[in-house]
Amino acid sequence: MRYFLYLLLIILLFGCSQTRLGQQERPDNLIFPALVFHFPEVTQQRLASGVKLYLKEDHELPLVNLTLLVEGGSIYDPLDKTGLSQFFAQSLSTGGTESLSPQQLETELEGMAAILTVSSSKYGYEIDLSLNRQDLKRGIEIFGELLRRPRFEAERVELVRAQLLENIHRRNDDPGSIAGRLLGEAIYPGHPFGAVPTAAMVNSFSRNDLLELHHRYFQPGHFWLAVSGDIQQSELVALLDQQFENWQTTESSPRELPPLPAAPAGKIILADKQIPQTTVLMGHPGISKDNPDVFALQVANYILGGGGFNSRMMREVRSDRGLAYSVYSYFQVGRRLPGLFIVSSETKCESTGEVVTLLKQLIRQIRDEPVSTAELDLAKASLINSFVFAFADSHSVVNRKVRLDYYDYPKDYLETYRQRIASVTIADVQRVAQQYLHPDNIQIVLVGDGQLYRDEIEKMDLPVETVDLQLTQ
Amino acid sequence: MQRIIIIFLCLLFLLIYTIPASSSSHTIFEKVQEHRLINGATVLLVERHNSPTVAAYISFRVGGVNETSQERGVAHLLEHMLFKGTKTLGTKDYAAEKPLLEKIKTVGQQIDVLRNRHDADPEEIQQLQDQLKGLQKEHRKLVVKNEFSKIYGENGGVGYNAFTGKDSTTYLINLPANKLELWAAIESDRLENAVFREFYTERDVVHEERRRSYESSPDGLMYETLLATAYKVHPYRNPVIGWNSDIDNLDPDQIRIFFEKYYTPVNMVITLVGDFDSEATLQMVEHYFGKLAPGVPVPPVVDKEPEQKGERRVTINFDAEQQLMIAYHKPAMPHKDDYVFDILLQILSEGRSSRLYKTLVVEKQLVTDVGVFTAPGSRYDNLMILSMTPRYGCSCTDIEDAVYVELDRLKSELLTSAELDVARKQIMTSILRGLEGNGGLARMLSSYQTLGDWHYLVDYEKQLNLVTAEDVMSATKRYLRADNRTVVTLIRGEN
Repeated sequence: MRYFLYLLLIILLFGCSQTRLGQQERPDNLIFPALVFHFPEVTQQRLASGVKLYLKEDHELPLVNLTLLVEGGSIYDPLDKTGLSQFFAQSLSTGGTESLSPQQLETELEGMAAILTVSSSKYGYEIDLSLNRQDLKRGIEIFGELLRRPRFEAERVELVRAQLLENIHRRNDDPGSIAGRLLGEAIYPGHPFGAVPTAAMVNSFSRNDLLELHHRYFQPGHFWLAVSGDIQQSELVALLDQQFENWQTTESSPRELPPLPAAPAGKIILADKQIPQTTVLMGHPGISKDNPDVFALQVANYILGGGGFNSRMMREVRSDRGLAYSVYSYFQVGRRLPGLFIVSSETKCESTGEVVTLLKQLIRQIRDEPVSTAELDLAKASLINSFVFAFADSHSVVNRKVRLDYYDYPKDYLETYRQRIASVTIADVQRVAQQYLHPDNIQIVLVGDGQLYRDEIEKMDLPVETVDLQLTQ
Repeated sequence: MQRIIIIFLCLLFLLIYTIPASSSSHTIFEKVQEHRLINGATVLLVERHNSPTVAAYISFRVGGVNETSQERGVAHLLEHMLFKGTKTLGTKDYAAEKPLLEKIKTVGQQIDVLRNRHDADPEEIQQLQDQLKGLQKEHRKLVVKNEFSKIYGENGGVGYNAFTGKDSTTYLINLPANKLELWAAIESDRLENAVFREFYTERDVVHEERRRSYESSPDGLMYETLLATAYKVHPYRNPVIGWNSDIDNLDPDQIRIFFEKYYTPVNMVITLVGDFDSEATLQMVEHYFGKLAPGVPVPPVVDKEPEQKGERRVTINFDAEQQLMIAYHKPAMPHKDDYVFDILLQILSEGRSSRLYKTLVVEKQLVTDVGVFTAPGSRYDNLMILSMTPRYGCSCTDIEDAVYVELDRLKSELLTSAELDVARKQIMTSILRGLEGNGGLARMLSSYQTLGDWHYLVDYEKQLNLVTAEDVMSATKRYLRADNRTVVTLIRGEN
């Protein structure tokens, strides 16, 4: 019976759809209502201890998320102690507190199904804690004690050291991470951003190093705390005040960032690995967020290789020629110092030369020729209309607000973002492409079976350097 | 970056993080509205007005597991082809394009036939390849490149993607709330009028995807080898992307047949979560998707994996440091023992206080990391897989011994009720975290509805609470046996 009904439906529906076919509407001819969007409110408050607190209450689920941002990070790692910030972050997260041994701390937090992570990035440390609402009080007590009185228990610190040594030992397993490392070393010689830890350095990290970093950065006056979830402001403030009471902050010395080295001359770096596909990673110095051209560059990069399937790189390399699965370009907008411009792809070893040539041509093209109006409009519309997703979940709303303030973005950055993108012109795109893209002065890292492309690469107009991966283990 | 992907990681993610529901999540599940269109399509709607956005998922109850040996890789390449447009989108003139597409197919099929013959004339193949190139070039003049992506892009869509797993295939996008009708128009057009353009170029893209995810990646290579060793008969043994020779021989006609049969309303689950009015939205969904022909239900897989009669061991030589994976066959949901394994996974490897982390990483310091997960799918009996990263100088034999001591302990000592409670709380909280954000909720509803019925999530906590320490002991005795085990090691080979 049911089967019969389906059969009838098939006939009917085919009938219907055929009458529609001739007059198929194009979906982009539909007319849409205007989007109602308000910037979500984030409560800001400076606590008595000096902590800068940002809160977005959200009572839909009985969860609370905290993210603490603290000055520090790999930019401050001395060159003979590369990796120290990472050593510190992992030791802090696993080394226990004054009153709780590492195991007691883990058992208690995991018993509450809480998740605690500590990580180190270029310009800061981040401590994340996710809690069930019912465990809030005890969770924040542990959080406070960890920040204030970490134990750095020797056994766990040694475990962290052993893990960092293992990372060094395994650094040539994955072609993508090999390429990233070699590119950093080539562009940032003698700078923390390009430095790579050695076993000797990791073995030299001491307990004193940990205590010193903790003392220097972990003071409530340097804390930027983002909180979202099922919590009231008054309740949160009371709990935090209790933890940070009588914790003095000493004046911090002015921030001194080691300056970046001059951009190196273009070259090709070959690293041999017995795999059927070459990882292609190209890069040169880019811009920081303080550069007023950042908006025009975002539009230019969308067209070049940032706009996914709407970008030229994806169209030319993947869609037209089937040479790669993944291909993109990216401007890492440096939060303080300029970041990198990067182009990344993978292709079978035999087509390595073809892909490198094609990618360089595409960079040249966006410098030499104006982009079309259609390309410009698409890039701008996409960046403007997807802006609303920056506010799609509570924790990212409050976290973004913290970051904008921590990195001294202009106060009206978010409010004016769409307008600034909208005002980018075709001439702007070409101007910034010429100013910030340097296809002849770029580092090109190739990790793969070099036998299959070395000859072709050596014919290109750039010096070729070979890295023996076995010597970097 | 947008990627049309699959890959087992997506599935692992689903399986590890989106297991089932909690009492505090019930308020959200009460908001789920379920509808069935007259053509058989299931529609799940959840209104959520936190931000003016919508997550839109369309899933089909078909994936790699439903392919015969002649079809391996079809579902995945089809996923790529469904991004190539329709009769109105992606083309300057479909009428002019159609005969050209036919010619391309004819030449492509001729090449494929010749390549499989030992006595083929290489010159003839070359000639045909040149001819194909010429036709492709001519065809490209009529193509509007990636037009779906363009239209979604200019309308503010993000995360436009798809993934093909063993059990199901999903197409997803997030849109500003005012653009929901755009999604309905594009997606229904794609199901009704899909045109498979640039087929042979895309086949090359899939080869690159395979090189990237499996052949150049120690993790991917190990996982693929593990499945092909642990399964002898059941199609879970095959990579969703296909083996190389499968990809070489995929054919546009074959893909079309698979598409027209199974990517149809009777196998389809539409899930929308976000800022919309349910009544109006349902009407809109009916208007666009209700016209599609019902299609044919995907037949169940009848292949049964015979009981494993002894340990299987494989070694892979690869240019990387050593790695180790151990797998045991186990039943899939909704079997009672599957809930037992959810508990077991927590006890073994979730967090630093878990048993394997404590023993292997902290005390014996044999490995730097250990993870336990279930894979490769959830519709048919699957595997519990332990994955370990050995410390330099530690032997895989010592690691295995230490693992087996821990597993044996579960066979002789009952878990305490405190341990059980913690495991339950962790699972329930991880589900809760999965509900933050429209995408998380949409993915969870969509995947469980595709596997059977999303109410599994509602009932889950009750079932989990029924698991006793005795159940855990009895399951470990039954499944965690040497006879039922597959061990894969990857070492730096001498080649």
